[in-house]
Amino acid sequence: MPTIDIKKNDLETLIGKKLSLAALEKHLMLAKAELKEYVEKTDDLKVELSDSNRPDLWSAEGVARQIRIALTGAAEDHPYFRPGRKATRVISVAKEMKSVRPYLAACTASGLRMTDDMLAQMIQSQDKLADIFGRKRTTVSIGIYELDRIAFPVEYRLAEPSSVSFTPLGMDKELTLAEILEQHPKGKEYGAIVRPFSAYPVLIDSMGRVLSFPPIINSRDIGEVKPRTRQVLIEVTGTDMRMTALTLNILAAGFYDRGADIDPVLVTYPYATDLGKRVSFPVNMSRPVKVSLASFQKGLGERVLAADVKKRLASYGHAVKGAGAMLSVTAPPYRDDIMHSVDLVEDYAISRGYESFSPLMPEQSTVGSLSGLELLSDTVRGHMTGAGFQEIMSNILCARAELDDVLSAGERLVEVENPMSLAYSVLRNRVVPSLLRVEAASSKAFYPHRIFEAGEVAVYDAGENMGSRTELHCAALHSHPAANFSEIQSSLDILLYYLGIEYRLERAEHPLCLPGRFGRVVAGATDLGFIGELAPSVLEKRQITMPCACFEINLNALLGEVTKES
Amino acid sequence: MTPTEHSQLIESLHPLEIKFLASFAERESRTTPEIMAASGLDESRLDMAAGWLQSKGLLTITGERVTSLVSLTETGTVYREQGVPELRIITALREGKQITVKDILQSWGLDPSEVSSAVGALKEAAVVRIVSGGVLALNESPDVAPYQFLADLISAVAAKDQADLADFPSDQQAAIQANYHKRGKSKGIFRITEKKERSYGLSKEGATVVRLLQQRGTTADEVSALTPEMLKTGSWKQKKFRAYNISLSPPRIGIGRKHPYREFLDFVKYKFIGMGFEEMRGPLVENEFWDMDALFMPQFHPARNIHDVYFVKDPTHCGKIEEPFGKQVAAAHKNGGKTGSTGWRYDFDIERAKRLILRSQGTAVSARTLGSGPKVPGKYFSIARCFRYDAVDATHAPDFYQVEGIVLGENINFRALLGLLQLFGKEIAGAGEFQFRPAYFPFTEPSVELHVRHPELGWMELGGAGIFRPEVTAPLGVTVPVIAWGLGLDRMAMVALGIQDIRDLFSTDLDFIRTKKIRLG
Repeated sequence: MPTIDIKKNDLETLIGKKLSLAALEKHLMLAKAELKEYVEKTDDLKVELSDSNRPDLWSAEGVARQIRIALTGAAEDHPYFRPGRKATRVISVAKEMKSVRPYLAACTASGLRMTDDMLAQMIQSQDKLADIFGRKRTTVSIGIYELDRIAFPVEYRLAEPSSVSFTPLGMDKELTLAEILEQHPKGKEYGAIVRPFSAYPVLIDSMGRVLSFPPIINSRDIGEVKPRTRQVLIEVTGTDMRMTALTLNILAAGFYDRGADIDPVLVTYPYATDLGKRVSFPVNMSRPVKVSLASFQKGLGERVLAADVKKRLASYGHAVKGAGAMLSVTAPPYRDDIMHSVDLVEDYAISRGYESFSPLMPEQSTVGSLSGLELLSDTVRGHMTGAGFQEIMSNILCARAELDDVLSAGERLVEVENPMSLAYSVLRNRVVPSLLRVEAASSKAFYPHRIFEAGEVAVYDAGENMGSRTELHCAALHSHPAANFSEIQSSLDILLYYLGIEYRLERAEHPLCLPGRFGRVVAGATDLGFIGELAPSVLEKRQITMPCACFEINLNALLGEVTKES
Repeated sequence: MTPTEHSQLIESLHPLEIKFLASFAERESRTTPEIMAASGLDESRLDMAAGWLQSKGLLTITGERVTSLVSLTETGTVYREQGVPELRIITALREGKQITVKDILQSWGLDPSEVSSAVGALKEAAVVRIVSGGVLALNESPDVAPYQFLADLISAVAAKDQADLADFPSDQQAAIQANYHKRGKSKGIFRITEKKERSYGLSKEGATVVRLLQQRGTTADEVSALTPEMLKTGSWKQKKFRAYNISLSPPRIGIGRKHPYREFLDFVKYKFIGMGFEEMRGPLVENEFWDMDALFMPQFHPARNIHDVYFVKDPTHCGKIEEPFGKQVAAAHKNGGKTGSTGWRYDFDIERAKRLILRSQGTAVSARTLGSGPKVPGKYFSIARCFRYDAVDATHAPDFYQVEGIVLGENINFRALLGLLQLFGKEIAGAGEFQFRPAYFPFTEPSVELHVRHPELGWMELGGAGIFRPEVTAPLGVTVPVIAWGLGLDRMAMVALGIQDIRDLFSTDLDFIRTKKIRLG
């Protein structure tokens, strides 16, 4: 989740109060934010925001707003969202946009008194919103322009890749749209979003000047905000109307908090949208939610008063009506995360402060227990340590090379499609290879080595719904100059004796072991596992220079036998 | 030294030391050969015993004499058996044989350099000359005395074992030196080895100890081990048992032992059983449905992409999603279904839900339990191996354990959630101070982070928890509130094991595993 940079002084100006670091850390909890770092010399704060569903908090303005309203105790008015305000500027959407990038929302901000901090925050919040909320500009991207340079109405339409050219930000010559995708860093980074289409989105004003090539890059002439800029056009394009409109609302609220006047822009669609065909942005999409006082009490575990709920929700930004058992709550226009009344219960608890709730110790009595498999595993581990084996724990993800040479004919592995490293690209299907990994790394540890591991493996099985089975196996290994079959069989024999399992060994062959010195461990009709002396080729490949003998038992299968016996 | 100290010293003496000291019974100074003769110790044991006694302050070196011992080298032995090459040549020529240098080289089995030096020496001494055809010819009345002298010397050296160089007359000494085999050169006839002969003297304490040993009648015949035979025959009654030096370090042994990290996890496991939790298990290979969809993580959630989760290569998808859960979860995502939620408002893709991945969070096990008709009231926990797409380093393991669980009950609420977390903080981390911070998880609301003051680590995040959203529980058929919690215990485990690198939890170094201790509680 995003980490943002803020100047402490800027944050305090926005909050309207100087705060000690300790006080700031406490207030940051209101925004589910954590102070990661403060450099006093440069006044830089690093703040991590944990709520991926609250993009309104991913800027100095958003964090400050949440703290400010808590300190003043009242939700703030955002008058620019009131319906009925007449838009004087128009952006028309061409019908072919529907299948490419159908939605656009825009408004203007004027009377700006641009500062370095404001410019920095503006750029940061554009980046975070487009990158994280907009999934790397796929669903939402943002453009901010010098309003004075635009002749309305503006058109949002498609253009042939070579038919239109303009000078993009960061360059000093005109490029066609196709050239931008080839040459401009942003074109290379985000080009994949538009490449599937034969024509690309552009915003063009009534003088035929290109504002931008959404979602790739703005024009340098119009789409560059400078410290002397006094008024801007804010525009958001996207593939989801709610997300597009919400992103605009968040940006508008940020400018508003810095003293700008927000004015609407009329966007006309030739096709139907959830907000209609002629939409004057910004649009407040929040609807009143009915929520009972009882749901607060049940969710929190204590009696709460309607007046208190109203007060706490208001100081968290909500508009609350009603006074009795049923309240009507409307979230602020920059939020779209209230899906259920439980979201309001949490807002209340955060607004009041988690520390104000006294913990209730669990009262209901329940019986603790382990699964049969874990109990069996514990019993086996007890026997194995008693028999002198050192327990091992291993990674389950491993390299294919560690398993390849010890697979039976036709045996397959659960493989990762997108491994980070070849060293961790398959799930082990046996535990013995993990013990061999220990042997390969431990030739300096004094001998004899007697090691074992009870651990999970994934067995490829196309017949299973999940394509594999997770099993718990116990494997043991002896390694010393005289390690042999008979010695390891004694260890297996005594283990199965105490578990009450009658078993037999059936001669078989396996690439893991020397021919003629390998056997399946079978109880009744159940295959429990195997036992054998490790093949010299297997040891040599792992640069192990000490004889080894091993066994491996499937505890899931053993559990079936143990339960059968008793 | 007090009598007690003397007594302890005597009891700690090794049989070799006692034998060594016993040879000093009549005199307080002796040479190595004398000690060897008197004690029966060989040279190396004698040196060992002398070293120990010196370190105990009982013995000092009083003198050292170096003897040069002469013996035959391999070449010398060959000359003794077959004759000195010069004499052999002379003899052969006297017998009238026609020989050339080439003949000698080919059939006498001598080193070419020996042959050339022998022939060279004979020519120079005008004993032989070379005539036509390279044939050697004997001159008139040759002087063979020097060669006979050398042959006699070789016999003399061979006759004595360990002949002392100083015992030879000076002309013979000179000849020995001239034919002295230096290390690395093969042609020498004689070998000279230097031998050090030491004289030892008892210190004052040493003399006392020898006297005491005599008084006590202590001999090295004391036995070190009691045998079954002695017990059967009763002969132990006549034996003296040597006292051991019990201050020595014993040899290391390898024992059967739990893995220290497993010991930590067992501790956690038993704590949960003690708090009334039932264990639950789930598969390593999950589908996105149980790992994420059932937990109300929208399919467009940033934590679901290729850089966060390991996808399975084959098969890529599971066969089916259990119904009615599939349909109900899809509805919850789309429009809230019957949960009273607006949902995420997007078209849920059931094929995406079937995508197989490696379990990325232990909460997947909780989700499966919710769908399996859990007990109410009920408490469940799991210690589940999870996998995340991360570069492996000191703080990221390729797979790791998550400790997760749920608590179901009619009376579950936010305060009960805080109470449970406080209990965990006390029981698991031994913490007395707590802080609850607002947090975000897609599947819980309200959500909380538990921070505790750990006795050693200071303030740390111990875990995250919350009350499952109705969008999670209702589609899985659960109608009561459910607490979901997860604890991050690896840091605690690392402190308990005294390690800094998370990869060491699954170390492959047996020596490391054998020696790691763990502190619990």
